Amino acid sequence: MTNPTTTRGLWQVVARREMATALRSKSFLISGAVLVVAIVAMIVVSGFLNGRPHDDTVAVVDGTGQRAVEAASGIADRLQEDTTVTADRVADRGAAERAVRSGDADAALLPTRDGYEVVGDDDVDSTLAQALQSAVPATVLSANAADQDVDLAKLQAGTQTTQRLLDAGPEDEGVRTAASYVFVVLFFVTAIGFGMQIATSVTQEKESRVVEILAAAVPIRALLWGKVLGWSVLALAQVVVLGVAATIALVATGQTGALGPIAPALGWYVVFFVLGFVALSSLWAAAGSLASRQQDLQSTTAPAQMLLFVPYIVAFVAGEGVKTVVSMLPIASTMLMPGRLAEGSVPLWQLLVALALTVLAAVLLIRVGARIYERSLLRTGGKLGFGEALRLSDEREPATR
Amino acid sequence: MLEATSLTRVFGDKRVVDAVSFRVEPGRITGFVGANGAGKTTTMRMLMGVLAPTSGTVSWDGEPITVERRRTFGYMPEERGLYPRMKVGEQLVYFARLHGMSTYDAGKRTASLLEHFGLTDRADDLLDDLSLGNQQRVQIAAALIHRLTALVLDEPFSGLDPLAVDSMTDLLRNEAADLPLLFSSHQLDLVERLCDDLIVLSAGRVVASGAVEELRERGSEQYRVVLDGEDAAWLRDLDGVEVSDVDGSTALLSLTGLPPADLTAAVVAKSRVLEVARVRQPLSEIFREVTS
Repeated sequence: MTNPTTTRGLWQVVARREMATALRSKSFLISGAVLVVAIVAMIVVSGFLNGRPHDDTVAVVDGTGQRAVEAASGIADRLQEDTTVTADRVADRGAAERAVRSGDADAALLPTRDGYEVVGDDDVDSTLAQALQSAVPATVLSANAADQDVDLAKLQAGTQTTQRLLDAGPEDEGVRTAASYVFVVLFFVTAIGFGMQIATSVTQEKESRVVEILAAAVPIRALLWGKVLGWSVLALAQVVVLGVAATIALVATGQTGALGPIAPALGWYVVFFVLGFVALSSLWAAAGSLASRQQDLQSTTAPAQMLLFVPYIVAFVAGEGVKTVVSMLPIASTMLMPGRLAEGSVPLWQLLVALALTVLAAVLLIRVGARIYERSLLRTGGKLGFGEALRLSDEREPATR
Repeated sequence: MLEATSLTRVFGDKRVVDAVSFRVEPGRITGFVGANGAGKTTTMRMLMGVLAPTSGTVSWDGEPITVERRRTFGYMPEERGLYPRMKVGEQLVYFARLHGMSTYDAGKRTASLLEHFGLTDRADDLLDDLSLGNQQRVQIAAALIHRLTALVLDEPFSGLDPLAVDSMTDLLRNEAADLPLLFSSHQLDLVERLCDDLIVLSAGRVVASGAVEELRERGSEQYRVVLDGEDAAWLRDLDGVEVSDVDGSTALLSLTGLPPADLTAAVVAKSRVLEVARVRQPLSEIFREVTS
């Protein structure tokens, strides 16, 4: 007789099949590709909107107007990066207005009886208008000062007003806030998407009855671990692919400045992601084992979906205080903590509490999930509830026939 | 040797399997027969450990059976099941790997089983794309894929055409030549042709078990006499004989005192005879007797 083989390492065989099946499934690859495209598109579009070199043309009819426009170019660039303003000298008011109407000029700067007017077609870009409105007085003032032999610098002494904030936010606040929302949405989407995949793959094995052969060949725990770890690796791989794609997109569109402030948050995100995902994964597997058919999954996965949905809502609507507390709770921490890290500093003790609670929850959820999975996997005919499955006797319960 | 002792399974208040005991000896093909609902599938699932018995034990070579031992059994459940959207070859390699074979051995074994069933060119097809008969062959291959120490097959022949049945029995005789093999079936003619031992289950209890030959001998022996055109009714008057049926020149009788060796002489003395033969009682009749 041959020696009975050991059951060690079998979960790897199971995990490898799960991964191979997923990587060959068109729907899996397409949904992954859609996410990558969405993130890259978001970065490219925002880069295009923010970083696009902006050149406004202003029609002028006199030398003062032309000098004012040249001064406005410097002011506009300070207001919004990569913005230049060019003067276009035309013959008279009529020509200037025609240029604005036809779109050849973005605006016209025309002398009036007591100064200048900015003429636009239906709208004047606010940055341009602001720049012109500051440039005109400065230009005219310095011309007047020269005419009357007045020392402009002396005249202006003591007029400068600056601004100082007592509680200044970090730089790149926009990028940080955007990153924190991306963290929330990304974990929500990935955890629900991959969680449903785990549940579906369990239910499919029940539906096709192949589970009876599997159960005779492999300890049920090895099946569970294979599934959980296989899909966790896939989920993490997807996050890494997204991260790399996002970095490439940021570099390609010249927005590398955004990377610096969110890099530490990214590192923590990976840690919280792995813990949060693994904690939930056995619950998804249990949900799959409770169902007899795919249609049952809608209701058996409801608890896991709620665990994700509540922090998701909190992340978007709750105030600072609530967020701080919720960000230390398991699962919710994966969505909220990296975002808080991206937006500013988080006290170390809060990080440690969040990590400890997540690990604790992971251990508990995995135990409960495994218990349900083991007891309901071989039960066919009808859907079970979580409570019902937990009360099942400690044996492999079959189809009653 | 695989042995069940007082296996009992209760579902709710229904005793589906009631103190069932039997042995499956190595090198003997053991048939497991019984009407629908007699408890065959439940018993086999308890043998395989996918269902816990309410009471009773399963043992291997006299020792309580272990998970590791069971993993080396070939099992074909009553409810067929494989991965419908997985390639046939990959699927078999996967099951072999689950049973602890190396990738290389798994590939070799898969190739040889597919060849045996004439499915070599379907290895890269999805299981779903195969005919039902071919899917059944793959299911059998999945049960035989690893290094077996015993086989437990629930209705392995259902859904197979006669040619496939022959190919399957050849394979079983080869693969399980010195292993305990238990299979259940409704097809009594097949059981009769294949089995060395028989276990008959009725309403959750074993009503007969043992070597097929022994079981036959327990039943009453019958003889068929065919005369040369003459009406066989006169045989009713023969001493030490009880005629159960006469049809023209053919009679079916059992001996109630006449020694078997004297039957031919007694008939030939009075008639011209074409045939005197001992009738082997078909299994179906034994089955009917013990389960009624």
